[in-house]
Amino acid sequence: MKLKAIINDQEHDLTVNTDGGRVQAEIDGRVYDIELREPEPGSYLFVREAEVHECRVNQAPEGFGVSLHGRNYAVAIVDPKRLRSGPDAHGHHHGHAEITAPMPGKVVKVQIEVGATVEKGSGVVVVEAMKMQNEMKSPRAGVVVSINVKPGDTVNAGDVLAVVE
Amino acid sequence: MFRKVLIANRGEIAVRLIRGCHELGIKAVAIYSEADAESVHVRASDEAVCVGPASSAQSYLNIDAIIGAAQSVNAEAIHPGYGFLAENAAFARAVSDAGLTFIGPSAEAMELMGSKTSARRVAVDSGVPIVPGTVDALTSFAEARETAEKFGYPVMLKAAAGGGGKGMRLVTSSDELRSAFETAQTEAAAAFGDSALYLEKAVERPRHIEIQVFGDKHGNVVHLGERECSIQRRHQKVIEECPSPINDPDLRRRMGEAAVKIGQTVNYTGAGTIEFLLSDATREFYFLEMNTRLQVEHPVTELVTGFDLVREQFRVAAGEPLSFTQDDVRWVGHAIECRIYAEDPANNFFPSPGTITYLREPAGPGIRIDSGVSNFSEVSIHYDPMIAKLAVWGRTRQEAIERLRRALDEYQVTGITTTIPFFREVADDEEFIAGKLDTGFIARFNDRRTVVEPPQVDVDLAIIAAAIHHSRHQQPVFVQAGAQASDGRWKMAGRMASLRTWKRQT
Repeated sequence: MKLKAIINDQEHDLTVNTDGGRVQAEIDGRVYDIELREPEPGSYLFVREAEVHECRVNQAPEGFGVSLHGRNYAVAIVDPKRLRSGPDAHGHHHGHAEITAPMPGKVVKVQIEVGATVEKGSGVVVVEAMKMQNEMKSPRAGVVVSINVKPGDTVNAGDVLAVVE
Repeated sequence: MFRKVLIANRGEIAVRLIRGCHELGIKAVAIYSEADAESVHVRASDEAVCVGPASSAQSYLNIDAIIGAAQSVNAEAIHPGYGFLAENAAFARAVSDAGLTFIGPSAEAMELMGSKTSARRVAVDSGVPIVPGTVDALTSFAEARETAEKFGYPVMLKAAAGGGGKGMRLVTSSDELRSAFETAQTEAAAAFGDSALYLEKAVERPRHIEIQVFGDKHGNVVHLGERECSIQRRHQKVIEECPSPINDPDLRRRMGEAAVKIGQTVNYTGAGTIEFLLSDATREFYFLEMNTRLQVEHPVTELVTGFDLVREQFRVAAGEPLSFTQDDVRWVGHAIECRIYAEDPANNFFPSPGTITYLREPAGPGIRIDSGVSNFSEVSIHYDPMIAKLAVWGRTRQEAIERLRRALDEYQVTGITTTIPFFREVADDEEFIAGKLDTGFIARFNDRRTVVEPPQVDVDLAIIAAAIHHSRHQQPVFVQAGAQASDGRWKMAGRMASLRTWKRQT
């Protein structure tokens, strides 16, 4: 099975074949032939040269979360045979910066007006979530060109709160 | 002893209190919001009553609904846990007025010590030193500015009604004062319904050390030694230890006596904690505030002294004397607690709500877990993001740290980002191992961490596992259809951020 894997913004060519208790894989030319056990759903137990590696895989909306040896990896798998245009998660916005809500919450305060000049790190909007008030800061110096929220608004993760140019 | 007690809380502390009830043969009644109907504390209870919708203002803070729930099941007493209504004197009064027992101090003691300004006056009256600052709440921004100039920066703004770091701001210069004053006021009003602030001179590189006290209704007040709580983020503790790595019996005796004096001044009953700032250089300590409730970090005191604080709370509330005297208190070994938060340490400890898709907790020698979640638990945006506490005990601090590392290695939580990998790094940090702690620890720790890539084999195995999982499950199996579609970007961002791993100190 030929696939592409995206991890840390980098694409890797990948071939994976499972056969009974083994997995043969090749990633960018590195070849693996490893024992594979699946002790419970979502758990992949690899034994490679007697070394034990237990991966927990968690299906996420835009890929997989894999935990191994205390680290977490975000991996997206693309099947070229089922090619579809994936979301452009890494679109770059030159010249302007969007201040987005990192999680769902409630706007408690808008600290600045459209047209105001802000420094990098200036507070723009205060969002409350999980009992914490968090000041959303401008990622760059510039002029506030739009503010899309007002106090009392409920926002979702990723909502654009304000734009600085 | 009581036959039936209502637990007016949720999460890990509700589970802890239910366990205490069951050991004493008491029936435990849980309350829950509509969002918590399937939660672990409900499943652990004997009876459960829904008290309102998800929003805590309408459920866990709804005094009428909670007292109504207690009456509907004929509970005799209410244990408030910590947070929510635990330090609300009006609630304590309403419980008594309804003919029920409030498991905690008297409403009078709570009022005296609950307001930070009157608590400071009690400390002064008890002959206990306080940090220079305003005794009364600030009346205006102008007064705040004047006072700050008088003490000199840095200063601390604090909510008069507060606790838990809410409404608290460190102000290092005069141009930060206005914005800090306003945010702290808003936060204090939202968290405590009271925007009053006071101001203190900030102590440089302070240790945060607190003394556990216990009083009964027969005039006994004892202390159970100190807890070191210097490792904090946003002025909230994340790692606590008993004893402090300073481990100075004379200092413990002096701080313990000061704490007991304050307890005696207010006729304190039940479990309480006197918080102090300790200057590492001079070993001088200053009264900071009193928490008139059981603390989050009580397990480290339980592990080292062997006393069960919840059991004593029930005894004292039922009118029995404390089961031990000051001379019975001995400190054996060393305990460390880590608060497991659904937060992303790589992103300024931002909350990371979501569904726990897999949970495997550590076990074995010297390990204690107090958890409020299980597999498939939803960590909601409505409540505090602390999901569990990991406490370890060892004969020495060194042994405790070794157990902590081993336990953190065993701990697996997927679906949300947690503070577990962060604690694993701290457990290897030289300053942590040396016990060089103060409240600026995390800021300095973050500065000295260095980024390293994980081994290539690990990355490859993670990719292979994802690919196998992909081939086995074309459709999501663990995430229910439609669940959390809205925070996909946040989750993804969190996972991407958590990829930036850091070199361990060796």
